[in-house]
Amino acid sequence: MLSRHAEHLYWIGRHIERAEDTARMLDVTFHTLLESPVGEADTAWRELLEVLALAPKYGDRPLTPSRVGHFLVLDRKNPGSVVSAVSQARENARSVRDRISTELWEAINQFHLELAARDVEGELMAQPYEVLRWIRDRGQLIAGVASETMPRDDGYRFIRLGTLLERSEMACRLLAVRYARLVTTGRGMAFHAWVSVLKSVSAFEAYLKEYRAALDPTKVLEFLLLSPTFPRSVLFCLQEAESLLVELASDDEMRPGVVMMIGRVRAKVEFCDIDQILETGLDTFLEALQGEIYATADSADVHFFRSGTELDLHTYESI
Amino acid sequence: MDRLLADIVDTGFSEVSSADGIRPHYLELMHRLESLGPENLSARAQLLDSIFQSLGITFAVYGHDQGVERTWPMDLVPRIIPADEWRPVEAGLVQRVTALNAFLDDLYVGEGAAIRDGIVPRWIIESADGYTRDAYGIEVPSGARCAIAGIDIVRDGDGVYRVLEDNLRVPSGISYVLENRVAMTRVLPVAFAQHAVRPVNHYGSSLLKALRASSPRASGDPTVAVLTPGVANSAYFEHAFLARQMGVELVEGRDLLVDEHVVYMRTTRGLQRVDVLYRRIGDEFLDPVVFRPDSLLGVPGIVSAARAGNVTIANAVGNGAADDKGVYPFVPDLIRFYLGQEPILPNVTTYLPWEPDQLPMILERLDQLVVKPVAEAGGYGIVVGSKATDSELAAVAANLKKNPRGYIAQETVSLSTHPTFIDGKLRPRHIDLRPFVLTGETVEVIPGGLTRVALREGSLIVNSSQGGGSKDTWVLAG
Repeated sequence: MLSRHAEHLYWIGRHIERAEDTARMLDVTFHTLLESPVGEADTAWRELLEVLALAPKYGDRPLTPSRVGHFLVLDRKNPGSVVSAVSQARENARSVRDRISTELWEAINQFHLELAARDVEGELMAQPYEVLRWIRDRGQLIAGVASETMPRDDGYRFIRLGTLLERSEMACRLLAVRYARLVTTGRGMAFHAWVSVLKSVSAFEAYLKEYRAALDPTKVLEFLLLSPTFPRSVLFCLQEAESLLVELASDDEMRPGVVMMIGRVRAKVEFCDIDQILETGLDTFLEALQGEIYATADSADVHFFRSGTELDLHTYESI
Repeated sequence: MDRLLADIVDTGFSEVSSADGIRPHYLELMHRLESLGPENLSARAQLLDSIFQSLGITFAVYGHDQGVERTWPMDLVPRIIPADEWRPVEAGLVQRVTALNAFLDDLYVGEGAAIRDGIVPRWIIESADGYTRDAYGIEVPSGARCAIAGIDIVRDGDGVYRVLEDNLRVPSGISYVLENRVAMTRVLPVAFAQHAVRPVNHYGSSLLKALRASSPRASGDPTVAVLTPGVANSAYFEHAFLARQMGVELVEGRDLLVDEHVVYMRTTRGLQRVDVLYRRIGDEFLDPVVFRPDSLLGVPGIVSAARAGNVTIANAVGNGAADDKGVYPFVPDLIRFYLGQEPILPNVTTYLPWEPDQLPMILERLDQLVVKPVAEAGGYGIVVGSKATDSELAAVAANLKKNPRGYIAQETVSLSTHPTFIDGKLRPRHIDLRPFVLTGETVEVIPGGLTRVALREGSLIVNSSQGGGSKDTWVLAG
């Protein structure tokens, strides 16, 4: 398939996942703060911005719920906000209108139109839960529509790859920011804090089923990093991304660098020793892991979307 | 019939009726329309409109309202061409396109015999807007330089089919032919079934076959792609439609690159070689190395790749040397010269302002003639003498004297009229026809073509950009 088309599809996956994750994490933060001791609010908002990799962009503006909420949902100047992500997903979808199912196009277009028609600002002030749940539902609806209406060809694979890479990066940052700090600052005993970490990735119920209500920090880490069955664990995302990349590169005579990279980073997670990581430093481990996932995404970008770029210079030189 | 048919205009050949009443090949259709009645027809006309609206089939209108999109206007009443009428038209089209291909191939890679032997003046060719020296030496397999030609045909007052204009660069409209047919079978299924209408929906596979036949690589499975300027182009719908119909990639300039004179598409599985490029971009934007250096739509180096024989550009570069309106008057002679045959389809009688002995007569008869700028398309700049004001005529006369090579003058052809459903009645409106001719291993005409209709009463301008509509065109089997 044309590289340009593949790139658009990949970014549909990324942007929709981003919108959904942002809404869920914002919701969790709002509600966790209701049950938190006074004084934790600033930290919670700061951490949320860090998990979403938007702290530098937010700068030193006041950390009030309404300002952060507006920034994360409605701020068009923030490329990571929900409205920005959805409108970019729509632009990408429009450019590959012929490559995606009509149902998928309509689901994305509808999301964009309804977002503009709703009084999101007012709802965020009055009852954020409703509107944030609606955003989350829309994201999941689009993922479901893609899954149930698209043939399992390279087009679908690129959408899914974008979703999984975005999600794995998000999960890593969540662990690095929230988990690591909970452990190191000694706030590790706070039940509600662990609940909020799990809920940030819809993992609370799944965790309880697996470990029967015992909120043990090590087990939370193990679950979010290593669960082979939970679709938002880092390992799950990397395993599926790896198999997608293997299929996408199946015509290549030599295994391309990007497949080697995803294989290495997946193996690093899959065969890691949790106790040893906790001993030698979770921060270091997660930081390295994030770097490797970013590098893999960059490599996928170059391999699939920039083919022949090195030749362009050559062509222009020969003219 | 009286309830439905509005007054017959007295100008133009009537497609449907003669002094003896309804022509035989229209009897069944007119009977069917009559039995449906005006309300029913209005409902169906609305359905037709909503079909095109929901399909999102629109076209952009340039000019006064920059970039306004309109729904494709299709008339409810189809045009019927009986088999014995179509046969000579088809033969004439094949003949004409064969001669035009021969002329262009001879001009750019042959000995230029038509110029050498004085059939057409060298300066006429070299001053044609679409002529380019950069096409010299670029071979096209089997000389199929006009892979896709759109030849505009009108019927004069005696019902004689005449060629009005050749379009050999990037003729558009075929997607509407196909969509009109699909819509027609939905709104008038019974009438359609009552006629043995020749199908048009094989166009995609015929086009693909013709394009593959022009691949420079003899062996293997040639890769064809459609090159579009992008979504902002007014004909983007058609570009996407054709790519879909052929099952090939729709590419933009940035999807392609040229390395060592070979054209590649950037795909997720690496670079894929392109053998035939059906480009819907004009020559001047095709290759910034050769033509306009500021073009971002094209592909640097693609003309040299074609010259090296590694890619076929369809239609070929430089075809404008043959479809210039100044060259048009010479086409019948080109047919005689290259094929040794008499032209089957006549031209419209045309006068050449640059000939000193013709200019005075043209100026004298300006109010009876039609004056057309040679370099414009889409009906822009045409002055119909009989409908022009004195000041318009004065302006045309001044232009003719200043730049005689810039215009041709033609006898006014009072285009044939056809009943068209407007405001609950069938009203006569002027029509023309653009058949599409494909050149691959053989020359093939798609039965019928795009019938365009001037929706304004008395208007002779049928172009959709100037308020024209269209009709489904039924060529009957026989």
